[in-house]
Amino acid sequence: MKGCIFNIDNGYLEGLCRGFKTGILTQNDYLNLVQCETLEDLKLHLAGTDYGNFLANEPSPLSVSTIDDKLREKLVNEFMHMRNCAVEPTSTFLDFITYSYMIDNIVLLITGALHQRPLQELLPKCHPLGSFEQMEAIHIAATPAELYNAVLVDTPLAPFFQDCISEADLDEMNVELIRNTLYKAYLEAFYDFCKELGGETAEVMCEILAFEADRRALIITINSFDTELSKEDRARLFPKCGKLYPDGLAALARADDYEQVRSVAEYYAEYQQLFATTGNNPEEKTLEDRFFEYEVKLNVNAFLRQFHFGVFYAYLKLKEQECRNIVWIAECIAQRHRAKIDNYIPIL
Amino acid sequence: MGSLFRSEEMALCQLFLQSEAAYACVSELGELGLAQFRDLNPDVNAFQRKFVNEVRRCDEMERKLRYLEKEIKKDEIPTMDSGELVEAPQPREMIDLEATFEKLENELREVNQNAEALKRNFLELTELKHILKKTQVFFDERENRDVDDSLTASLIEESVYGTNMMDLAAKTGGQLGFVAGVILRERIPAFERMLWRACRGNVFLRQAEIDNPLEDPTSGDSVYKSVFIIFFQGDQLKTRVKKICEGFRATLYPCPETPNDRREMAIGVMTRIEDLNTVLSQTQDHRHRVLVAAAKNIKMWFTKVRKIKAIYHTLNLFNLDVTQKCLIAECWVPVLDLEAIHLALRRGTERSGSSVPPILNRMETKEIPPTYFRLNKFTKGFQNLIDAYGVAAYREANPTPFTIITFPFLFAVMFGDLGHGMLMFLFSLWMVMNEKPLIAKKSTNEIWNIFFGGRYIILLMGVFSMYTGLIYNDVFSKSLNIFGSEWFVKDSNQAIFRRKTTMLDPKNGLTDYTYPLGMDPVWQVAENKINFLNAYKMKVSIIIGVIHMMFGVMVGLWNHQFFRRRINVICEFIPQIIFMTFLFFYLCILIFHKWVNYSAKADLKPELINEGAHCAPSVLITFINMVLFKSSEKVGECEPYMYGGQEGFQKFLVVIGLLCVPWMLCAKPYLIFKQRQLQHNKFDNVNGGSVMEEGGSAQLGAGDTAAAAPSGGHDEEESFQDICIHQGIHTIEYVLGCVSNTASYLRLWALSLAHAQLSEVLWSMVMRIGLAQSGWYGGIVLWAIFGAWATLTLGILVLMEGLSAFLHTLRLHWVEFQNKFYSGTGYSFLPFCFESMLEAAQNAEVD
Repeated sequence: MKGCIFNIDNGYLEGLCRGFKTGILTQNDYLNLVQCETLEDLKLHLAGTDYGNFLANEPSPLSVSTIDDKLREKLVNEFMHMRNCAVEPTSTFLDFITYSYMIDNIVLLITGALHQRPLQELLPKCHPLGSFEQMEAIHIAATPAELYNAVLVDTPLAPFFQDCISEADLDEMNVELIRNTLYKAYLEAFYDFCKELGGETAEVMCEILAFEADRRALIITINSFDTELSKEDRARLFPKCGKLYPDGLAALARADDYEQVRSVAEYYAEYQQLFATTGNNPEEKTLEDRFFEYEVKLNVNAFLRQFHFGVFYAYLKLKEQECRNIVWIAECIAQRHRAKIDNYIPIL
Repeated sequence: MGSLFRSEEMALCQLFLQSEAAYACVSELGELGLAQFRDLNPDVNAFQRKFVNEVRRCDEMERKLRYLEKEIKKDEIPTMDSGELVEAPQPREMIDLEATFEKLENELREVNQNAEALKRNFLELTELKHILKKTQVFFDERENRDVDDSLTASLIEESVYGTNMMDLAAKTGGQLGFVAGVILRERIPAFERMLWRACRGNVFLRQAEIDNPLEDPTSGDSVYKSVFIIFFQGDQLKTRVKKICEGFRATLYPCPETPNDRREMAIGVMTRIEDLNTVLSQTQDHRHRVLVAAAKNIKMWFTKVRKIKAIYHTLNLFNLDVTQKCLIAECWVPVLDLEAIHLALRRGTERSGSSVPPILNRMETKEIPPTYFRLNKFTKGFQNLIDAYGVAAYREANPTPFTIITFPFLFAVMFGDLGHGMLMFLFSLWMVMNEKPLIAKKSTNEIWNIFFGGRYIILLMGVFSMYTGLIYNDVFSKSLNIFGSEWFVKDSNQAIFRRKTTMLDPKNGLTDYTYPLGMDPVWQVAENKINFLNAYKMKVSIIIGVIHMMFGVMVGLWNHQFFRRRINVICEFIPQIIFMTFLFFYLCILIFHKWVNYSAKADLKPELINEGAHCAPSVLITFINMVLFKSSEKVGECEPYMYGGQEGFQKFLVVIGLLCVPWMLCAKPYLIFKQRQLQHNKFDNVNGGSVMEEGGSAQLGAGDTAAAAPSGGHDEEESFQDICIHQGIHTIEYVLGCVSNTASYLRLWALSLAHAQLSEVLWSMVMRIGLAQSGWYGGIVLWAIFGAWATLTLGILVLMEGLSAFLHTLRLHWVEFQNKFYSGTGYSFLPFCFESMLEAAQNAEVD
């Protein structure tokens, strides 16, 4: 019964999304890709996969950035197609996904403006999913309050921004604070939205978002050591929708070094494993990679259940991971630095 | 017909090609299109194959050609398709081609770059022109404001605000700065909002739309833009406003303050625009010349490059032998064409100037060869119908040759109407007559292509429908009285006119002859026409169906004989045909018997009372009683049976027929079981013997064979359980199928009835209204009504009814006919052929 109702509006989209998902490169493809000698080889092999002729009209020699652009363009096209076909509440859900890119774009532009970079140089670096009308005029703002009043008030990000309105000048520290506060507000709002949707969507998405929140909390803590960020400020940046909330976050707020963070993670079975297998040696994977792997696992699991919106989110994230993998391999090939070529994150 | 009935005999051949000659040989084979190459390095990556560099160069050339083509299309220059055959160029020609394309591409890019720069310049000047023109209006308004201040002041909020600003400016000494520029029209609202927010309402914006679309120099699209002018006070606001303008990608232009300067500037701009126009047109001319030259050859170049690429792709499938001197290929080839292949190879060797001739070996293989039928444009459509169900297994009987006749015939049984058939026939005849020009047009309309692809099917369907229409005596639901009805009315004319209806009794209203062709036209006016036709068409459907199915079973026999499957003949074919004949064919015989032996005239003679029409027993009841072993009872003085000893004979038939069921079910599995046991015993004996005779050393070897043989057997043969289950399914399907399929053929009657009724309704509800009008206006009404009737006839009766009859016919062939013998588990032969390759590339391009 649920399936009938779900499929009235979203059956086509879900089918489409699952179809797209089957186009994700397999382990076999990766094995072939890492054997490539040149980027031309890479192109030839990708032409045999679901990517098809996406590089056919690019003149040789290829550069990694062209590949990156084209990969992204293809992904964005697919996503926008789904977005354009969507109706409430799927459309809101898909919009929510794009907000994170908007946050990234805003931060990118402000940082660029702080470093006196011309706008024309920054714009191509913005993610097309997160572009909005007022985006390019962002550098008129000198303080967060101005930023809010002049630029962001019309965007969907406005409600998230309320916590960072201040009259302090925009400097690098401030920008980082804004980014993390925005992201925290965004994650919490997204989490609540999914919860409100209920059903399978809530079950799948809340798990993914909870992990995302915890990952941010852990990484913020680790990165904040030896910076001027005070502990109170740090605690304010933790998203409160993860599994670490409330005890874990409280413990993280008190942490002073990496070991303490690790001991906090010990209390949580999933995270304990991630920490247990990381190290700084070349053979061992970094914590970041572990997080990525775990994210991939969650996203792949999302496809095991039906009649929920999580597949759209999971597909986008998986595809992004795939793009990162291809770009990583392409970089390794282009720089003739094959030792680390196997460090991509396999998508199972 | 031989090759259409069974697919071509294929041979797996091994080819040894001299490295130098390989290219030319493969090119010749591609022109011939009779060899399907197998991939000999399936494990090798695409980019690790031998000729990957050449393929890549071809890709690059294709990219350049695509770029050229895009530019040519942009300028709407017609490309010429000379239609002449372009040979695959020699490998050394590739370098020339590459150089040509490279030069063309660079030239074009340069021209485009210049043109773009010029266009950008042009755009800027045009925008400036518009700004000067539009701002003039704004400034004029300012001048006039004092005059009608009181009028405009309270009209709109914005203008109140504007006048206030200007008043303010006037009071503070006229220190009002302004910027003017152009912005995309759709960005105006957001732009305005942002200005208001960022400057806290301290600016004044006026804007006016530019009516004509402007061309965007990079993409070439035309875009709509608006001119705006912003008034503000102070430098801080100025930088802010400028930043916002930059953010919204508005282009700002200098605009002089005084009207005189503006006028001068406008004149300057106009002259510069004119100069630019001449330069621009020259650039365009140059570009046009380059493209026209390229357009002449582009199709040929595409063909050449695609051929080279296809050859190298094929060469990539080959194996390199150890000495690196020659390439080894494996291909499927029709046995009959081996000679042609040999010739092509020799031509290729000669062309390449190699001294060593290529070697072609036939190989023994256990693999199932592909299915290949030699088709022509006529048989192709029919074969497509069959292939849509499943490609025939290798050398299996192909239903196509029979389908060519049965398909249009069964269709016509449902679609029997001379008029509608004629329409269909004429349409398909037009397609067939204009075949060549229509093919050359290469339409992309999917529906049209379906019709055109099936033009010969439609042609035959039309002809057969005309025939059945004659038999049913139906022309747009009216009848033709060609030979004169054989019915007559005995009564005087007056008597007839007094009655509303007249009963024609066959006893005394019929001459001694029958109407020579089909239905007597008198049925057209009979009240019991439908009753009569129902009985007739129903029986005809059953007869056609049973014969069709029995024929299917017979084709199955040919298959069993061809593949030497005697066990299938004994355990499947014989019981099947007995079952069908004894039950269903007997039914057909009863029908014929009833038609021949009972007549109305016999009623007149008392001694023939049992052969009179009113005594004819119902075939249906007789058949049901027969199957249920019930005896029919005498009704009045009529005999319930059609001939003597019928009851006993029928019982015999049913018993034998039913006995066939266990025969079908059990005989084959049992025989296979026996056979296997026998084989097993043999193996045991051999093993036992060898152990006894040769002792210890041989024991190992014997053990090996014993272990290998049964396992090998298991791989090839299905397990016994599977065989039993399959046989069970097969039997149930056949036995139940005979009943349900026979019933299924009744659709012939049902659709034919529906078609006839529909066309009659259309005539009486629509056309008759037109014909019933009198007076001069009757002609006009008739004219209009005829239009409606013709449209409905075409749309509903010919198109929709035709489609539905087509689908039902397709089903009767796929399900009822083919499941008696056709497995359809083969795979089709896809030879390496330039022609089909180019066609596919062209179609992909169109999409």
